[in-house]
Amino acid sequence: MFFKQVYRNAAKNRKGNGLFFGSLVIAIVAFYTLLSLGEQDVMRFLATIESDAVHKLMLLLPAVYILSLFFVFFLVYFSCKYQMDDRRTEFGMYLMLGMKRRRLFSMLFGETLWNSLISLLIGLPVALCLTEVISLATAKLVGLGIVGHHFTLSSGAILWTISGYIIVQLLSMLILCISLVRTEPAELIRGNSQKAQTEMSNRKSTVTFILGIVLLLFAYYLGLFHLKDLNYLTFLLLLSGIVGTFLLYRGLGEFLGKRIRRKSPTAKRLTTFTNRQIQENVIHQYTAITISSLLLLVALSCVSFGISLWLERTTDTRSTDFSIFGSESEIHDILEQEDVRDMIKTSYPLYLSPTDARISVDEFSEALRKTEGGDNAAKYLSIDYIIAEGSYNDLMHAMGKERISLSHTQTAVYSSPDWEDALLNAALKKDVSIQINGSKYSLLPRLYQDNIVADRAITLSNALIVPDTLYSTLAEEPEPYCTNINLKDETVEQMGLMQAITKMDGILSKTDLTYDSYLSGIGRNLFNTVSASYLTIYLGILFLLIANTVIGLKYLIQQRQNRHRYRTLLMLGASTKELCDSVKRQIKVFFSMVLVVAVISSIAAIYSMFSVLTGFPPGTSIRTVITFAAIVLAVFIITEILYIKIVTRTAYREIYALETEERRNAS
Amino acid sequence: MDTTERILQVKNLSKTYGKASNKTEALRGITFDVLKGEFLGIMGASGSGKTTLLNCIATMTTPSSGKIILHGEELSKFHGTQLSDYRGREIGYLFQEFELLDNMTARENIVLPLSLHGMTEGEAEHKIQEIASKLEITDVLDKFPSQMSGGQKQRTAAARALISNPDLVLADEPTGALDSRNSKTLMDKLAEFNWDLDKTIMMVTHDANAASYCSRILFIQDGKLFHELRRNTQTESTEDFYGRIVTVMAQLGGGSANVL
Repeated sequence: MFFKQVYRNAAKNRKGNGLFFGSLVIAIVAFYTLLSLGEQDVMRFLATIESDAVHKLMLLLPAVYILSLFFVFFLVYFSCKYQMDDRRTEFGMYLMLGMKRRRLFSMLFGETLWNSLISLLIGLPVALCLTEVISLATAKLVGLGIVGHHFTLSSGAILWTISGYIIVQLLSMLILCISLVRTEPAELIRGNSQKAQTEMSNRKSTVTFILGIVLLLFAYYLGLFHLKDLNYLTFLLLLSGIVGTFLLYRGLGEFLGKRIRRKSPTAKRLTTFTNRQIQENVIHQYTAITISSLLLLVALSCVSFGISLWLERTTDTRSTDFSIFGSESEIHDILEQEDVRDMIKTSYPLYLSPTDARISVDEFSEALRKTEGGDNAAKYLSIDYIIAEGSYNDLMHAMGKERISLSHTQTAVYSSPDWEDALLNAALKKDVSIQINGSKYSLLPRLYQDNIVADRAITLSNALIVPDTLYSTLAEEPEPYCTNINLKDETVEQMGLMQAITKMDGILSKTDLTYDSYLSGIGRNLFNTVSASYLTIYLGILFLLIANTVIGLKYLIQQRQNRHRYRTLLMLGASTKELCDSVKRQIKVFFSMVLVVAVISSIAAIYSMFSVLTGFPPGTSIRTVITFAAIVLAVFIITEILYIKIVTRTAYREIYALETEERRNAS
Repeated sequence: MDTTERILQVKNLSKTYGKASNKTEALRGITFDVLKGEFLGIMGASGSGKTTLLNCIATMTTPSSGKIILHGEELSKFHGTQLSDYRGREIGYLFQEFELLDNMTARENIVLPLSLHGMTEGEAEHKIQEIASKLEITDVLDKFPSQMSGGQKQRTAAARALISNPDLVLADEPTGALDSRNSKTLMDKLAEFNWDLDKTIMMVTHDANAASYCSRILFIQDGKLFHELRRNTQTESTEDFYGRIVTVMAQLGGGSANVL
């Protein structure tokens, strides 16, 4: 009997609350995907070349997992509260009929466990499929080849997903049960107690509302114009942003009240009722609205940040596959081996050397200083290295790019690809020149940033690309720095880049030569992509999900608590369609209120993030960024529309149920 | 009261819930007329079918058989807009638990039936003021229900039921949630509307005190009309009528055999 009841109630809960159940399944998928990251092909591959970084990431995962559990807890708590509020009368009845509280609670826990089990049974297989697809897709994308792929089932991840998920469920149930213990059965039977509509005093609410807007604007101002680095201003920005959002919503209810009073003499049909419903939601739920709005802001920022990291990866082009260090003759011997020769497209010595020539960059620094935000860069500008034009052109040729051409009085500035390029480029456009040992050389009006060696770990802040003849007079080291080789395109196409490099690596490792390969470059690169973009996008999506579910549930809770109002309206002559229209408008406005602030704040946040903190990914055109931003925005809008549709449909169902219930109960 | 104009005709009304073995007959062929300007009371024990009757007339439940005719039109033929129009304009409904929308001010609550039919608060202001002063709730017009007393709430609800100038006001135990003083004020007001403005009121009640304000009372038992009391409003005081009501109520327990 007990189990039958648990089973039946659990089924009813699932049916009546598909929105919540669906969100839980997605949460499970997200948990498993995160926790099984270490088992994915790409990560296992990375662990072989970047073990330290991967290890660090693996240490970070539990923290991210706990953070997401914390937020999922809110989701579960609100949803369980929604379900339990609806069943208060039922609980009261059980208690009146003599059911022991202990039994009631074990029934509730039983229902929770049963539903958890079902959501796990749906969520875990979906998660397994998804991780396989991600694993295969990433492997294909980075040229790992799918030969090495095998199905992975991370038992640790499954175990952690299950236990974390169930703990969160039981914990929120426990908290709700504690409040249930404190409620008298008679009070439960009466159903829901509502908070009375009260308004703050006029002046207080106006002050709160205006203060909220001022603080938010202040936060935007700080973010857009004063945030140069992470310092105490960041803290001030966060504080004023959070407090501002909170105060804005705190004062909004009364602001709406004033507007309703002003409009009501001309309001027709259910307009006043609809607006009062919205106002009531804001007055009673401003905390939840603030949290949801902030979560959405974090979600949007996270996703944008993650995507920008992804873009950064994709723009990091492959310049050379191996850089071999050693004497020219030794290298020559190796390159002449048959198996090596078959794989190589080009090889060339790279002339890069420190120089003791007096290189005066005064004019260049001056130009930098005059560029907006260039003070710091100007202060630290110095050039100690030179690259021969011929070597650089060999590199450009191997990459299929246009060669540079320097006259005997021209040089060009080289900077590592990691460096901020916008400032230097802007300064170079001003037609500047430098002096080497007292002679004046003009600089080409753009910055060169292609990787001159295979491994990006070797970085060089700034260097000067000089004509070969000048190089021979200025270089401290006349020998080439290293020899770069590029693999044949056919080989790469046939074997996949990864496998081709690994094969060459195998040959080179047998010799005594030291070398760097693009493999470690890819490793670092991939690691950045996978760790940072994956984690931020993951958190972004999770926040988006939680914020939307919380807003939706908050609305539905309020609607259900006040269903008698809709019944009265029916009696007063409102049609079901009018009620549905009112509900639809309420939901739209309720969601928009949360979204508008979140979107405006996130535009400011994302703008300041890109323009001040990280800068646009090097080499990415504005058009790409805008395209990606548009895609993110579209996905975001679709998600919101989907949520609004689901919530509206649930709300409609309640209205229709009301009508039939009204007819049924009228006895 | 116009003794010739029949505002409402209920003909052989039946309502059955459930099917086959599980059948409950709430109403078993009730027939009566309501005249314009009448203050009609419906009394009966719990489960006698009086609320079902009221709900059938309010179109909140559909009768199994029989007819309800208002101004010569049959209610069962109403659908959609016609039905909403009927609910908001032609009948006013007064609930036992007031059912004021607690997130709206008294003024907004009162104007609801009018605004549902396209009139704005501005246009209705004159009417609001008029009815509010009659029901003595002018002071609370801009207050929320949580800031009012029970009596004020029910008078606000009465203003809402009356504002659209309905042909028929249906009241379901309107004094059920009020103390005796507030009950008396409310009944005085309702009687005033009935008397001065010739409003037709049909009230379901348990309360003999409230019922004594009526001009006619129908007693229902087991879904059938069981007895009828008429008061001569010219000669009979409410106190005398109250006495007669109490006597019938005492006899109700014993079935129709005991009724004189």
